[in-house]
Amino acid sequence: MMNEQKTHEKYDVIIIGGGPAGLTAGIYSSRAGFKTCIIESGVIGGEAASTDLIENYPGFPDGTSGLKLTENMEKQAKKFGTEIIYDKVIKIEKTNQLQKGKYKILVTNSGKIQTKAVIVAVGTKPKLLNIPGEKKYKGRGVSYCATCDGFFYKDKKIAVIGCGNSGIQEGLFLLRFVKKIEFVEFLPKPTAEKVLLDKIKEYENVNFHLNSALQSINGDGKSATGITINDNTTLKVEEIEISGVFIYVGLNPNTEFLEGLVQRDKNGYIIIDKNQNTNVSGIFAAGDATIDTVKQIATAIGSGARAAINAGHYTENTN
Amino acid sequence: MSNPFPKVIVFTSPYCSWCKRVKSYLQQKRIRFTEVDVTKNSSAARDIVRRTGQQGIPVTLVNNRPVIGFDKSKLDRLLGIR
Ligand SMILES: Cc1cc2nc3c(=O)[nH]c(=O)nc-3n(C[C@H](O)[C@H](O)[C@H](O)COP(=O)(O)OP(=O)(O)OC[C@H]3O[C@@H](n4cnc5c(N)ncnc54)[C@H](O)[C@@H]3O)c2cc1C
Repeated sequence: MMNEQKTHEKYDVIIIGGGPAGLTAGIYSSRAGFKTCIIESGVIGGEAASTDLIENYPGFPDGTSGLKLTENMEKQAKKFGTEIIYDKVIKIEKTNQLQKGKYKILVTNSGKIQTKAVIVAVGTKPKLLNIPGEKKYKGRGVSYCATCDGFFYKDKKIAVIGCGNSGIQEGLFLLRFVKKIEFVEFLPKPTAEKVLLDKIKEYENVNFHLNSALQSINGDGKSATGITINDNTTLKVEEIEISGVFIYVGLNPNTEFLEGLVQRDKNGYIIIDKNQNTNVSGIFAAGDATIDTVKQIATAIGSGARAAINAGHYTENTN
Repeated sequence: MSNPFPKVIVFTSPYCSWCKRVKSYLQQKRIRFTEVDVTKNSSAARDIVRRTGQQGIPVTLVNNRPVIGFDKSKLDRLLGIR
């Protein structure tokens, strides 16, 4: 039974976000005997659940799928008693309840819920380019998720925008289906790790447009049919025919709802100390949504564990 | 709900996390559905694009009416879930 409708339930620890950081916090917190729940607005597993092959997570010499890995984390968290509620946290109430020893009130789409400690593990979402055609052809040629949409481009030519780790890694996945990939990168060089670049170089059906900006995504009104790119040095404009565009140009943290309460840096990442404390006592943060500069599963789970242990200490000292 | 046994088809792939979310929601609400893995059935993939213009999954057909992605409120409305 889903418990979406429960209101005013009281928890020791509520974790906002069920990605790797939140699931790890759930495992530690519920195993330590705290009444714990994870509130998740999308899919359990977060960004990691959409990644086909994870090769750098320890313990899996042949790599593992992000979906399987996070399904196992979910099982482990539930086994120790973590509850999962599918809902979206829209606010943490800014009242004198935030004082130490008082329950904090989280406002969700379907009600209010109380907790002694909060762990914010809300991760990030893909950055949009805000160029002509991007919105219009979303789902009709424009995608941010290779594992969701890749198959629809079987034997077609596509573009991947962004040659960081995500762009190259997802490009490698897409090469299972597509005929050819035109990679577009704004910087003069791809920024992905060498191990990924070495792999992509083995393919003949890839082409790189470096030092180039994507100007627009063009289409016939129904779906995307091409892109226009602009060389940053020569200013030459080029039109390329493609059937799909996968965009990996960076991430933005899902932290808008903390505005005016929890301190964030200028890009919206949550400011934490070495114990994952935010500026508000009893509110902790972990994973990709924090100022931690490495955004990986291994670092997200480390910070989730640290946040849960410290939230536990806080909860024990709260009546 | 007008039809107590709606015909529900969910188009999925093995690597799609949002597909898992749609399926677990339907299971939890005890709605029977047929799953079609588009990676094993290219004509199903073409059919989705033809019907919805959508080049992605999950897509759920409820009595032939498409729901794109995990759109809980639309699923609830078409399935009479309160
Ligand atoms: C394409 C791509 C490939 C990657 N490949 C790798 C790799 O090979 N190896 C690796 O280690 N890392 C990889 N990463 C990075 C890895 O996915 C992240 O570092 C990791 O998922 C971060 O975990 P997290 O729990 O902090 O956040 P997320 O995984 O982003 O999870 C946050 C969760 O919070 C939920 N949420 C957000 N706001 C709210 C709210 N208000 N209320 C309730 N829930 C909310 C979201 O729905 C989401 O499920 C990759 C990332 C991408 C995008």
